[in-house]
Amino acid sequence: MSSCRKRCKREMFKFAQYLYRLITGTLHADSVEDELELSAVRHRPEGLEQLEALTRFNRKELQILYRGFKNECPSGVVNEDTFKVIYSQFFPQGDASMYAHFLFNAFDTDKDGSVSFEDFVMGLSILLRGSVQEKLNWAFNLYDINKDGYITKEEMLDIMKAIYDMMGKCTYPLLKDDTPRQHVEIFFQKMDKNKDGVVTIDEFIDCCQNDENIMRSMQLFENVI
Amino acid sequence: MAAGVAAWLPFARAAAIGWMPVASAPMPTPPPDNRRKQDGLILLNVSGQKFQTWRNTLERYPDTLLGSTEREFFFHEETNEYFFDRDPDIFRYILNFYRTGKLHYPRQECISAYDEELAFFGIIPEIIGDCCYEEYKDRRRENQERIQDDEDSENQNDMVPPDMTFRETMWRAFENPHTSTMALVFYYVTGFFIAVSVMANVVETVPCGTLPNRVKQVSCGERYALAFFCLDTACVMIFTVEYLLRLMAAPSRWNFIKSVMSVIDVVAIMPYYIGLVMTDNEDVSGAFVTLRVFRVFRIFKFSRHSAGLRILGYTLKSCASELGFLLFSLTMAIIIFATVMFYAEKGSSASKFTSIPAAFWYTIVTMTTLGYGDMVPKTIVGKIVGSVCSLSGVLVIALPVPVIVSNFSRIYHQSQRADKRRAQKKTKLGRIAARKSGGTNAYLQYKSNEVTASKAAGQALVCKANPMFDTHHNHLLHCLEKTTNHEFVDEQTFETSLLEVSMAKHPPHSPSLSSGSSSQGLSCCSRRNKRKSFNVPNSNMTGGHRNSIQELSTIHIRERPITNSRSSLNAKFEETVPLNCKQPYITAAIITLPMPPVTRPEDDGSASSPDYSQANIVRVSAL
Repeated sequence: MSSCRKRCKREMFKFAQYLYRLITGTLHADSVEDELELSAVRHRPEGLEQLEALTRFNRKELQILYRGFKNECPSGVVNEDTFKVIYSQFFPQGDASMYAHFLFNAFDTDKDGSVSFEDFVMGLSILLRGSVQEKLNWAFNLYDINKDGYITKEEMLDIMKAIYDMMGKCTYPLLKDDTPRQHVEIFFQKMDKNKDGVVTIDEFIDCCQNDENIMRSMQLFENVI
Repeated sequence: MAAGVAAWLPFARAAAIGWMPVASAPMPTPPPDNRRKQDGLILLNVSGQKFQTWRNTLERYPDTLLGSTEREFFFHEETNEYFFDRDPDIFRYILNFYRTGKLHYPRQECISAYDEELAFFGIIPEIIGDCCYEEYKDRRRENQERIQDDEDSENQNDMVPPDMTFRETMWRAFENPHTSTMALVFYYVTGFFIAVSVMANVVETVPCGTLPNRVKQVSCGERYALAFFCLDTACVMIFTVEYLLRLMAAPSRWNFIKSVMSVIDVVAIMPYYIGLVMTDNEDVSGAFVTLRVFRVFRIFKFSRHSAGLRILGYTLKSCASELGFLLFSLTMAIIIFATVMFYAEKGSSASKFTSIPAAFWYTIVTMTTLGYGDMVPKTIVGKIVGSVCSLSGVLVIALPVPVIVSNFSRIYHQSQRADKRRAQKKTKLGRIAARKSGGTNAYLQYKSNEVTASKAAGQALVCKANPMFDTHHNHLLHCLEKTTNHEFVDEQTFETSLLEVSMAKHPPHSPSLSSGSSSQGLSCCSRRNKRKSFNVPNSNMTGGHRNSIQELSTIHIRERPITNSRSSLNAKFEETVPLNCKQPYITAAIITLPMPPVTRPEDDGSASSPDYSQANIVRVSAL
């Protein structure tokens, strides 16, 4: 009952204030300028020397990478939406947002919701200059959505759907609804040695190392920068 | 935009490693990657315009880009300078900030470009000096409003989401009548009935001549009571049905009931129902007559149909403060002058100013300069007070009015601009869509040029703006194709293959099919035998067509793209053999010859080769 009364009083007070403001003509004074927020997020990366030590890029390469990075994201960090927009521009026919989401989670190693230049460059260092073992590790980390050390069929299905989404609908042959599922089945048949329904990191690495195609394609992007 | 995206291409290619373990086919070889020379100079050389300043000047503000170690990323050893690929005109203002400590905003620059530069160099806009701050804020607010407007109208005019429930469709139809024909019809019908109802209310009070055995004039409403009653019933039924439908379709019923339009609707139809209920009761029939006044509220229902009315209402609402002030000051003045007038005229005989409230009427009429003349002061003091009253009335009323008028004008122009922008946006989106389809065609074109001997000629067609970027991008898309074992095709092939699938479901009429699908299939017969040998391993790729007639159709469909010379086909065959050893993939590679050469004769839009180069060049900048 007392809370009701308090609320009544508050409402009356607000109404009286409103009448007062109406009379003195100051109704809108303070509601105008409060929407301009300071964009508080600004991130500056570590110095060139530290990054050179942390990654396998040399100075020049880091400079080139940073310039591109900074152009697209002047605030110094990429959030997930910007990431999706950037990645989608490479795949205009399809919808790259789901795969970009998984990529983002793979790059954002400290899980703070944004990819800073350090995260970005360390991820690239593994992908472009790392050993095959490291690359496979990274790929496993990408597929393992909940990072529990096992790839389940559901996780793989999500990844597969995301990859197929990038193709869009104008494909030949026609994309059917269960194409991703079939692909997942093939993948599991190849990778899941003990048939327990999940793929562990060892099974994954073993199987990939025994597959010539995969090994060869891992070396594909060595000279990208 | 192209430069920014091109800079992220290495990242996109690196991320492609994520597809590798999943791919069941081997990847194509990457294009040769000649080391790009470091492009650009580096320094306080901003896009070619050289600026020089002391190092200390820059380091006065260590939390900005130029003042911290971040600028080392932009150092260019060869020329020993720092290079920034930004706008030199705006950079002038930024450098001046370091020199003088005051940041200015140039009036002729676009607000968003300026904001971007500030964000890039790490300077917060709040330190803009007082001289330019107001201008900056105004421009920024305008920009935000425009962006908000764009978003709102975009949300309204979006493509219909594919699976909207019936209720949502209905609500959409009510809110945006132009989305479907039914909604438009409904909109006009209700508008018509509102007009009819209001006209009926007006006409039924017109005197209509006398009844045969009476002397007094009767109104049309009493003479043709039944007709008017039927008309009223019809209108109210339509309004009731409309209201109930809206209530049913509203996503949030409580919000709908609270809204102004719904209240108007209810007030418009309530008198009728109340009248139905209490027609026989004599006491309240007097009240019932007053209720009929509320029927005039039906005219407010027109505000759903008229944007101008809505703008007026919105203006009044946004000027509530000024209106309130006007009202209050008028009331104050009225009370003062009426009191003085009353006491001034108290002495004179037969004065009409019998009380202060009676004098209110005189004061209002005088202050608004109406001057009916039914109440006139007779004493000298009264006349003096009367003249002061009319002079001050002009002032008090004239002051708040321009504020209201300017508010209305701003809102009205804003809505005009929104309409104009919406119209411009449609053409703009059309042009962008045409460019995008050019992008897809560019990749398919690339696939045909990839291994033919005419590589040089092919690349002559492909854009000159950034050939390295293009080849790498196309290689990336090719890798995706290999991962998923599906190829990118353009719209026409997609539609024809859809057609083919649907044909597979019904018993096909082969003559019509062959005639329908092969406008180019003149020379198909000679090729059919050759292709048949490749058809077999690939039949599983077409999704299990067992019927021979379907095979025929698939041959047709697949052969439409193949109008290049056989030598090029063979060349492709030779190329791909060392790459893949498995049979299906060879045929797949052969089959994926692009549409563009075929569609040249029939598709005048984007398929002619000069247009191709245009589309290709444009594609990079559109990215």
